Amino acid sequence: MARTSKRRSASGSREETELATVHAGISDYYSAKVRKFGTTPPGVDWTCLPTQELRFVQLLRMCDVTSPFSLNDLGCGYGALLSYLDRYHPASRIDYLGIDLSPAMLRRARRLWHNRANVAFAQGSFSQRLADYSVASGIFNVQQDQPRDVWERFVAVTLRRLHGTSRRGFAVNFIDAGSVARDGIYSAEPAQWSRYCIRELGATTEIIDGYGLREFTLVVRRAA
Amino acid sequence: MGFYMKEDDIYISSLIDLFNLRFAPVPISRDLNKEELFGGIEEMAQLQSQFNIFRTDLPFSKSAAVLGLGGLYNARAKNRWYTLLEKLPDNGDQQIADALVDNFKKKPPLPCYMCSHHASPKSENRVIITQGQPLFYLEQDYLIISLPMAPRRLPGAGKKKGK
Repeated sequence: MARTSKRRSASGSREETELATVHAGISDYYSAKVRKFGTTPPGVDWTCLPTQELRFVQLLRMCDVTSPFSLNDLGCGYGALLSYLDRYHPASRIDYLGIDLSPAMLRRARRLWHNRANVAFAQGSFSQRLADYSVASGIFNVQQDQPRDVWERFVAVTLRRLHGTSRRGFAVNFIDAGSVARDGIYSAEPAQWSRYCIRELGATTEIIDGYGLREFTLVVRRAA
Repeated sequence: MGFYMKEDDIYISSLIDLFNLRFAPVPISRDLNKEELFGGIEEMAQLQSQFNIFRTDLPFSKSAAVLGLGGLYNARAKNRWYTLLEKLPDNGDQQIADALVDNFKKKPPLPCYMCSHHASPKSENRVIITQGQPLFYLEQDYLIISLPMAPRRLPGAGKKKGK
């Protein structure tokens, strides 16, 4: 028994170390991006504002923006989602928490939104609070030199944590495996993570695609 | 148009290529029987339908800036490129926007291909917008947008050499 428990704890610790390495790699990558390009779409590795916002359109489809709700934005970058909400849903009442791994990104986000009510930012790999909804845009794309199995463990852990901190549901996006493969970029078949969320999280899922980008959005709702 | 790009005229072809990639025909996947409905002109069509990026009351150069069509790494070349577009003769900047608006009304819209032509003689010093197959290796109709360009004169060019 003691030996099994020791083995389990050693493997748990290995996974934690592995996850910490993945998080550190992500943090370094995006810190370098925002230092180079500032608080602009290329600063969070997107081509341009319209494609960045087209992703927000899909991610927010699960939310009823006419009623107040709380929202966790995991991998929030400099808080571009807030600009989008200002422009397209100015009447919405959202209690927003942006979470990001990169301290450089968060410094800029806080500077940009410091006077804004109902907006907070926190550093980390997951939210410490429970919100009605969570969204995460592009956080699973930049695999860099991580082995695929390690990266997929990171995806699984992150999906579990998103589920655990979302009262109603969450939405994330992935590069579609049907698109042309690029080195260092993670892509997946829509069914793979949809199945995972149904089986492991007991949730219901919806896949949104065909919106012009080489990716799909996975919407995960808590089963009624 | 070397007047506006100056020594950055070496980037003109890459800037034109950037446009051509963003407005390219829908890519064909590795599975030859399946057309993938994303990227290229399909992405642009979705952006146009969602955000109305090209408008008949907004010059193309402004939409190009929003789409990052001036590139990322060279701010001077980017700014000069947008100036070149703004200063296209006969309101060419708006003509391009108008042509794109019309194109996106088509279902499906044509992919777009940007190129250039010699601005001389004077009758050619205008944006020329046509429809056709600009690339012999692609049997594909495009909306073709050709920008007038005048060659950059090298310093001292045209002066007679002394003995």
